[in-house]
Amino acid sequence: MANGLYLYCIADGHVEKNFDNIGINGQEVYTIVYEDLSAIVHDLIVEQERVEGEKLNECAMKHAQVIDVVWEKFGTILPLTFYTVIKGDEKIAPAQNLKNWMCDDYKNLKQKLAKVKGKAEYAIKIFWSTQKIGELLIQNDPEIRTLHATIETSQKGLAYMYKQKLENLLKKKIEAEAERYFNDFYKRIAACVSAIKVEATKKVDLDKQMLMNLSCLMSKEDSAILGKELDLMSNINGIFVRFTGPWAPYSFV
Amino acid sequence: MKPTKDRHATLVDLLDRILDKGVIINADIIISVAGVPLIGVNLRAALASMETMVKYGVMQAWDEKIREDANRTQLKTIKTEILSS
Repeated sequence: MANGLYLYCIADGHVEKNFDNIGINGQEVYTIVYEDLSAIVHDLIVEQERVEGEKLNECAMKHAQVIDVVWEKFGTILPLTFYTVIKGDEKIAPAQNLKNWMCDDYKNLKQKLAKVKGKAEYAIKIFWSTQKIGELLIQNDPEIRTLHATIETSQKGLAYMYKQKLENLLKKKIEAEAERYFNDFYKRIAACVSAIKVEATKKVDLDKQMLMNLSCLMSKEDSAILGKELDLMSNINGIFVRFTGPWAPYSFV
Repeated sequence: MKPTKDRHATLVDLLDRILDKGVIINADIIISVAGVPLIGVNLRAALASMETMVKYGVMQAWDEKIREDANRTQLKTIKTEILSS
């Protein structure tokens, strides 16, 4: 007998509904209602539940798919993190545990739902090619140009020293450029969205660096305005923009 | 620019979200099935290693090695058959 509940998300509204077998491993997904909150779940037998290796990927995808289906249906949801399972015991069923939690956390859940109402999450990753930026600096920065010219007219030993100096200067200038771009882009993006989260940047290819990694919350209509702003950014030489979404509001709950 | 939700292009963005984010319940009604909290880590590690492997062509090399081994075994079997006949 099922002794656990896999919880996908909490939706705003009192809706008793069965979503059929759209869940992980073809499980039947349905709602458990408390007041005007609906929890979207499937039954599971805790002892039998083992997901490993390749199946994990599939399960994670399914988790996201179910959330998308429910999101479309309800409009406003709080997605749970992957693999949240509510347990029960001899005295109390998992469904009751879940309802108790929804009752205890009611105010907090409603507040969070209000915050994401009518909005979706988008991911923006901005990359730049340090080589391109470096080349541009060599062409345009007066300080670097002067130093560059000095090297060409200097003798071997001295030229070597200047070259070292140039490398350090270039590194410093590139860092300053990164900061300048970051601040400029951040301001422009923040002006288009309701909420913004700065995520850690990741290593990518050798010739490209991730300059900024943002999660943004906004209405779908606003995403068009942001899209235009991002176009302007990606038109800059050496700057690349990746814009994905709409996602359920995973980062803002 | 329009946001994309193409499944292949956005796999990393999606996993980042469902593994690290979303509501986390801080109560003792949550089960910890053996190994479950590690799921995120495992999945990410598996995916990362796949990416790296493909990138550096290790999979291809590995594939070739397996084929080679299979051929050898086959050859050995044939040889044994010939010898014993």
